[in-house]
Amino acid sequence: MRQIIEGILIAFDSVRSNKLRSSLTILSIAIGIFAISGSTSAIDSLNSSVSRQLQEIGEYSFSITRNPKVSFSIGFRRFARRKPITYKLAKELQSELTTTSLVSVENSTTTSIKANTGITSDPDVEVTGVNEYYFTVNNTPIEDGRAISMEDVFNKQSVAVVGNDVVVKVFNGNNPLNQTITIGSTNYTIIGVLKSKGAVMGQSQDNVVIIPITTYNEKVNDNRFSSVDITIKAFSKPELIEIMDETTGILRSLRNVKPGEENDFELLSNENVSNQFSTFTSFISVFGAASGVIALIVAGVGIMNIMLVSVKERTKEIGIRKAVGATRTTILFQFVVEAITMCQIGGILGVSISYVGLLLLGHFTNIEIVFPINSILLSLLICTVLGSSFGLYPAWKASKLDPIEALRYE
Amino acid sequence: MNQPIIEIEHISKVYEMGSEEIFALRDVSLSIYPNEYVAIMGPSGSGKSTLMNMLGCLDTPSSGVYNFKGLDVNEMDDNDLATIRNKEIGFVFQTFNLLPRASSLRNVELPLIYAGESTTKRKQRAEEVLASVGLQDRMGHKPNELSGGQRQRVAIARALITNPAIILADEPTGNLDSKTGVEIMKLFHDLHSKGNTIILVTHEEDIARHAHRIVRLKDGLIESDEKNSQPTYYETI
Ligand SMILES: Nc1ncnc2c1ncn2[C@@H]1O[C@H](COP(=O)(O)OP(=O)(O)OP(=O)(O)O)[C@@H](O)[C@H]1O
Ligand SMILES: [Mg+2]
Repeated sequence: MRQIIEGILIAFDSVRSNKLRSSLTILSIAIGIFAISGSTSAIDSLNSSVSRQLQEIGEYSFSITRNPKVSFSIGFRRFARRKPITYKLAKELQSELTTTSLVSVENSTTTSIKANTGITSDPDVEVTGVNEYYFTVNNTPIEDGRAISMEDVFNKQSVAVVGNDVVVKVFNGNNPLNQTITIGSTNYTIIGVLKSKGAVMGQSQDNVVIIPITTYNEKVNDNRFSSVDITIKAFSKPELIEIMDETTGILRSLRNVKPGEENDFELLSNENVSNQFSTFTSFISVFGAASGVIALIVAGVGIMNIMLVSVKERTKEIGIRKAVGATRTTILFQFVVEAITMCQIGGILGVSISYVGLLLLGHFTNIEIVFPINSILLSLLICTVLGSSFGLYPAWKASKLDPIEALRYE
Repeated sequence: MNQPIIEIEHISKVYEMGSEEIFALRDVSLSIYPNEYVAIMGPSGSGKSTLMNMLGCLDTPSSGVYNFKGLDVNEMDDNDLATIRNKEIGFVFQTFNLLPRASSLRNVELPLIYAGESTTKRKQRAEEVLASVGLQDRMGHKPNELSGGQRQRVAIARALITNPAIILADEPTGNLDSKTGVEIMKLFHDLHSKGNTIILVTHEEDIARHAHRIVRLKDGLIESDEKNSQPTYYETI
């Protein structure tokens, strides 16, 4: 232990006295570790954010959207010419499906609302038009009052279910049931309050107003070509596969997709998200590992070089140490520890840079960042291996020096 | 008298220079007893440093027997030699051989690091020895912040720190002016009077006269080995 500390102290000393060479070497290690740890921590963070999305979709559910919700592949342009998935299309699909399932349809926008308390909200409230299956399929329980019913949808009722944030913000936390809110120029009676979901990825899930989709299509967004999101819930895995097949068939014929052409809509289930996702993560890891390994080999050669020069320059020092009783093993150990220390400095730098990078990424993309414990451990390991393997030869050379000749060296 | 610390018999050291063989030492025999104060003299190239390095276990003879405290040094491996250098021998060099970037304190505690001593013990002992050579207020100075005489004191403190059986000094005053040289010789005088065993290489008669026994080398051979009946004497401080 004492030897390790001593080695580390000597290492810092020699790093300080060979500033340029050391900083170049440390930099190349930092780059290598950055590439490797950056990609592993990015994958960690993506994994956790994707698994949350998968949870939201639910085990036996899949959703149908015009454009991919989570896209890991490049080429957004081809989605722009797709026909919308209208509410009308959703209803046709619903009536043609033969397998038992729940078909939830939703469309949403963000706007401001006004309550009969006189308070107007910020324009950040998510107003969602839904059908009666929305609550079951999306696992959105009601805390108080009732949900949107089939009759509400059929009769285009002006009723609303609100989230907890809305209660707090425009009703000052008072019971909002049977109160009214105004969206645009329409008044809605509040019939229910959602159970609070809290925040996901830093965004509150409770700042919502839910109304019948028919009302939504008429009053909030009357653009007939606006696309809705459809989520279908089956009751078992085989049924899920069956419904997905059936849905694909029905949608292709309703949307006149010719045989051999690609689907002009997206089916998103647990499985194909994981598939897409693993293609993407393996791309990141291969790329990260490849560039990391190259950088680390360069760094390793750098370490070896700086250590060889350092052994040469410090021949006299080695002679002195041997003269006062350092054994070969001690000298070998000292130089290996020195190489490892230099690598670790680079490693810490690399991990820090990649963590800062990730935090920035998280800040701009809403992907929640996982503390990169994996990549820290990985970096510790890599740096130790790198330092000891590339530092071994110079250290061995140092340990073999003859004390008298080393002392005579000028 | 009691057992010799150092006992060499028929030691030779040969350097091969191409086809030529250079005898740095030829058939040298010598015994050094506890608390002796020996000066080794001789002209340049006579083999003084070669002999000292061998006695200090830094170098190995080409032939002959070397017993250190009764143990055969030729039988020892690298680790044993390192241990002897660490624990039993304090070497003082003409060129000081201090670590240039380390403070006096760190230079002095270096042997204890390799002896596996704890940090606190090391520091305490190093301060003690530095004080004993009169450098209590120069602990944090690096070698280039010290005078030549002070550097040699640091080197002597380093040689003393493990309480070695013998102190070997190869021209310790060679790089110093005569006044500073005398101060260093006073220090050796004190060490000897406290019971240390000292071997000192010099080619200055003035310096050699401090010792109680003078060995003269010439061309790798012992020319003479005599008692010095009237060594230069200092009042012990
Ligand atoms: N590594 C070596 N290779 C070849 N010859 C050597 C080597 N080291 C010493 N010698 C030779 O051995 C002889 C003795 O050298 P040594 O250094 O012991 O002399 P010295 O008495 O200490 O001289 P000085 O008073 O100048 O220091 C010299 O002739 C020298 O040239
Ligand atoms: Mg010499």
